[in-house]
Amino acid sequence: MASISARRLAKELREIQSEGCPVGITLLEANDFSRWLFTIEVMGESLYQGEVYDLQFRFDAQYPISSPAVQFVVTGGKQSPIHPHVYSNGHICASILGNEWSPVLSVIAVCVTLQSMLASCKVRPTDNDRYVRNAPENPKKTLFHYDDDT
Amino acid sequence: MPPRVPTVNDLRVKLCYICREEEHADTPQEGLPRAWTHPCNCTLIAHEQCLLKWIQTSQGTASRAPNALKCPQCNTEYEMHSDEPLVLKGLAIGNRVLQRMGRYFTVFAAAAAVGVVSTSVYICLTAYGAWAVQKFIGDELFQLILTDDPVNWPWSAYINLPLLPISLILSRFQTSSSSMVIPLLLVWPPSTPVGEQSRRLFEYWIKPENASRLSRMSLLPAKVWPPPPVIFGIVGIPLVKLLYKKCYSYLYWRVLGTKLPQTRQLPREGLRFNEGPFVIRIRANLDIGGEAQQEGEDGQHEDGEPAPAPVPADGGVLGDPNADPNAVAVQAAEQLIEVDAASLGRRVGGALMIPAISNMMGSLLFRFSKHSSMLSTFLGIRPASRVSGSVPLPPWGRLAALTSGETRWKELSPLMQAKVGFKLVMSAFLGGSKTWLDSDPVWWRNGVGFGLFIVAKDCVQLLHLWLAKRELESRRVKDRDFKGVDVRELDLLPSFLQREGL
Repeated sequence: MASISARRLAKELREIQSEGCPVGITLLEANDFSRWLFTIEVMGESLYQGEVYDLQFRFDAQYPISSPAVQFVVTGGKQSPIHPHVYSNGHICASILGNEWSPVLSVIAVCVTLQSMLASCKVRPTDNDRYVRNAPENPKKTLFHYDDDT
Repeated sequence: MPPRVPTVNDLRVKLCYICREEEHADTPQEGLPRAWTHPCNCTLIAHEQCLLKWIQTSQGTASRAPNALKCPQCNTEYEMHSDEPLVLKGLAIGNRVLQRMGRYFTVFAAAAAVGVVSTSVYICLTAYGAWAVQKFIGDELFQLILTDDPVNWPWSAYINLPLLPISLILSRFQTSSSSMVIPLLLVWPPSTPVGEQSRRLFEYWIKPENASRLSRMSLLPAKVWPPPPVIFGIVGIPLVKLLYKKCYSYLYWRVLGTKLPQTRQLPREGLRFNEGPFVIRIRANLDIGGEAQQEGEDGQHEDGEPAPAPVPADGGVLGDPNADPNAVAVQAAEQLIEVDAASLGRRVGGALMIPAISNMMGSLLFRFSKHSSMLSTFLGIRPASRVSGSVPLPPWGRLAALTSGETRWKELSPLMQAKVGFKLVMSAFLGGSKTWLDSDPVWWRNGVGFGLFIVAKDCVQLLHLWLAKRELESRRVKDRDFKGVDVRELDLLPSFLQREGL
C-alpha cells in the first residue's frame, strides 16, 4: 500500500491533469512524489507583467501533515522575483509555508497564494544579504518571523 | 418529533481534508472501515486518525501549537476527549512549573555570575583607589581622612576611589590632555577626619574652653605655602600644564627641527598593541571629529596653498613629496620606537604605577630637602613636633551641631554668626580643611615629584627620538667591491680593462 503522502500527491496530480492549472500557473515537471516544478506568472497589470518564474516543491513522507518545501528556482539562469518576502536565493518568507500550513491547503492552493502575493511592490527584503549568506539549503529549516502586512 | 440533524455518517461521499481520500456510501469499502469525524462548524471532515495525527504533529512544534486545535477553515476550536488521569495532569503541570522555574534559574544564575564578577572588580578598583590615595597624600593624612578600615569611609569614597584607577587608565588612551584624575583627587582636601580621630577631635572641641576659641580662631589659612590644594588643583595645575606644554613644544622644535604635532592622531586602523606572541587590535573611531576636521584641511591643501607638513596617517615616509623632511624623519623615528613600545600592559601598568611613582619621587625630594633649606621651604616640610601638636578642626558634619547647640553661638550677633559661618566655608573650600593645612604636605612634594618625573620622562623620550632620528639620517648601506665575482661576468668600462691590462 502506497504511503498517505504518495496517494494524496497522486490524487492532486490527477486533479491538475484533469482540471488544469489556474491561469498563469503551469505544471512543468512531476516525475515523482518528491519534487515538482511549476512556472508561475502574475496575470493582469502588475510590476511583474511578462515575467515567468520557476517554483519548486519538495515533499517529504509526512506530507500533508508536514508542509512542502517551496522555493523559487535560481539555478540555470533562473531568478527569483524581486519582492519583500522573497530572498535572492529563492527562499520565501510566507506564513502558509510555515506555522500556518494546514493539510487543507494543496499544491495548487500554495501556487495561487504565492501568485497573488507577488502583485505588490518590487524590492528585496531588507535583510536579504545577511539571510542569503547564512541560509540553510532547505527553506523549511529557517525560522522566519512573519510580519503581518495584509 | 424534532427534525433529525445529519451527522458525518449520513454523508453520501466522504472526503478527508487531510489525506484527500474518498469513501462512497454505496460502494463497499475494502479493508477495515475507518472512523470519520466532523470536528467543527463547516463542511470539512476527516478521518479521525488523520486528524489526530495532524493535531499531535502540530502540538509538537512550538510555532504551530496555537493552531493545532483549530479548524483551518472556520477557526472553530476542536474539542478533544481523552483519558487523562489526574496523575498525568499533575505531571504535566509539574513539568510546566519546573520548566518555568528552570528559566528563572537561568536568568538568576546569569545575574548572580555577573554580580559576583562585577563586585570583585569593584572591590579591586576600590582597594586600588585607596592605595593610590594613601601613596599620594601620605600615610599620616590617609589615617586622618580615610583610615585603613573601610567602615570609617564617607559614602563618597565608594564612588571616588574605584573611579581613580579607571580615570588613570583612561587618561593614557585619550588624545586630549583632559583627565578625570585631578577632579577626583580634589574631593579629598575639603573632607574631614573620620573614625577614631574624628571622635577624639569632637571631644576636644566640645569642651567649653576649646569651643569658645572656635569663633575667635582665624580659620583662613595661616600659611600661603604650600598652596592650598583646592586652589592649586583648579588654577595651578592647568596653568603649570599650559606653561609646560609651551616649553616642551619649544624644546621639541629646537631639538628635532620640526613642530610638535598638534594632537597625537590615533592610527586610522585603530589601536594596535603588540604583546609578544599576541597582537591586540582595537578598531574604533575614537576621534571621528578630529579626523573629519583633518580631512577638511587636506581638502584645503589641494587648493594650491602651501601646506604645513601633514603627518602621514599610515606612516608612509614616501607620503607627501612636499613634506618637511624633518617632520618625515621624526615621524619615521617615532615609528621605529613605537614598535617596541606598543604593549597594552605597558600602558595600563604604567598608568597604575603613577601613585607609586609620585610617592617615590616625593620621598626622594624629602631626602634631598634635608640637605637644602631652600628645597625644604619650597616643599613646605613641617618639623615632626609641630605636626603632632596641632589639633585640626572638628569634622564638618558635627561642627554645625557643636556650634548651634552651644549657647555661645546663639549669643553671637547675626553679623558675627555670618562671619564665622563664612570663614568656615571659605576655609574648607579654598584653604582646604585645617586637616590638610596642618599636616605635613606629603601631597605637595609627591605632586611636585611626579611633575619632575614627567619632565624627566619627556626629556628621555625626546632624547630617544633625537638619537633615533640622527641614526636614521646617518644610515648608509656599506659599499663592497666585486671581490669573489668572476670578472668576465661583469660588463666593465674599457678604461678599467686597460688599466688592469685585461
